Amino acid sequence: MKNNILILPSIIFFLILSIFLYLLVIDRNPSEIPSNLLNRNAPIFEAKSLFKNEKFISANEFKGEIILVNFFATWCKPCRDEHVYIQRFSDEKDLKIIGINYKDNNKKTIKWLKDLGNPYENVLIDKNGKIAIDWGVYGIPETFIINSNGIIKYRNVGPITNKIYKKINLIINKNE
Amino acid sequence: MNSLILRKIILITMTLCLTQFFLNTSYSVEPDEILNNPKYELRARNISKNIRCMVCQNQSIDESNAPLAKDLRILIREKIKEGSKDDEIYEFLADRYGDFILLKPPLNSKTLFLWLLPIFFLILGAYTIFYHNKKSR
Repeated sequence: MKNNILILPSIIFFLILSIFLYLLVIDRNPSEIPSNLLNRNAPIFEAKSLFKNEKFISANEFKGEIILVNFFATWCKPCRDEHVYIQRFSDEKDLKIIGINYKDNNKKTIKWLKDLGNPYENVLIDKNGKIAIDWGVYGIPETFIINSNGIIKYRNVGPITNKIYKKINLIINKNE
Repeated sequence: MNSLILRKIILITMTLCLTQFFLNTSYSVEPDEILNNPKYELRARNISKNIRCMVCQNQSIDESNAPLAKDLRILIREKIKEGSKDDEIYEFLADRYGDFILLKPPLNSKTLFLWLLPIFFLILGAYTIFYHNKKSR
């Protein structure tokens, strides 16, 4: 019995060590934080549009169809890298794409979209980053998928890669 | 002589380490952020010290220079001016960024192990040492 008690700390130590090793080995990004908004209603907000004169009211827009919301900026290099995938979603999929232009210069954004193509149905201006805070955004680019009931089903922090593009496609197909 | 110098070096190093441990005066609040009302400003600083910078992750927003940390510090000050209570501000932030944003996570079913494991290990360690000593006697 006494020996067992002395062995117990060693067993616990190796158990904890195994957990750490497992977390090191598995494919995960330790700095990525799961979104608190997943499976919850998309935040309600109002914003100015870059190209349209009317105000964007999210409560009127986020319903009845699948929506991809993409936070981007012209000063963000990964946003440029993922733009090709946003464009592919726009060309290949029947979904509404809303771009939220984070702390950017309007003139530069218009030029950027002219040069790279504009996949967004509407580009909203988030001058002071308050809309991003409402979405729990902590580093752009970030992408959200909202289903037809206005519920956030997916969030990607960082640029969309080929792997993530396929993953988002699956989520879109599942929610269609 | 050599051992005396060595002792002095160890003492100075330990003193320096300890002062760093107890003195935490570094902060990133910029002059334009500071509120005119000292009571409000003190509340904002105290809240900011308990909010994790989501970009740096190992610093509070009070210490972080990240743009998001600045945005959150400004937001906290705006909320205080609007009349929000401290709990309401913590709730607002945790609602958007999860409990991870709180440097002191609340005790709930998800964080139960986090809070109880150190106590468990303390008891286990004390128990093992107690038995080991008893046996060696």
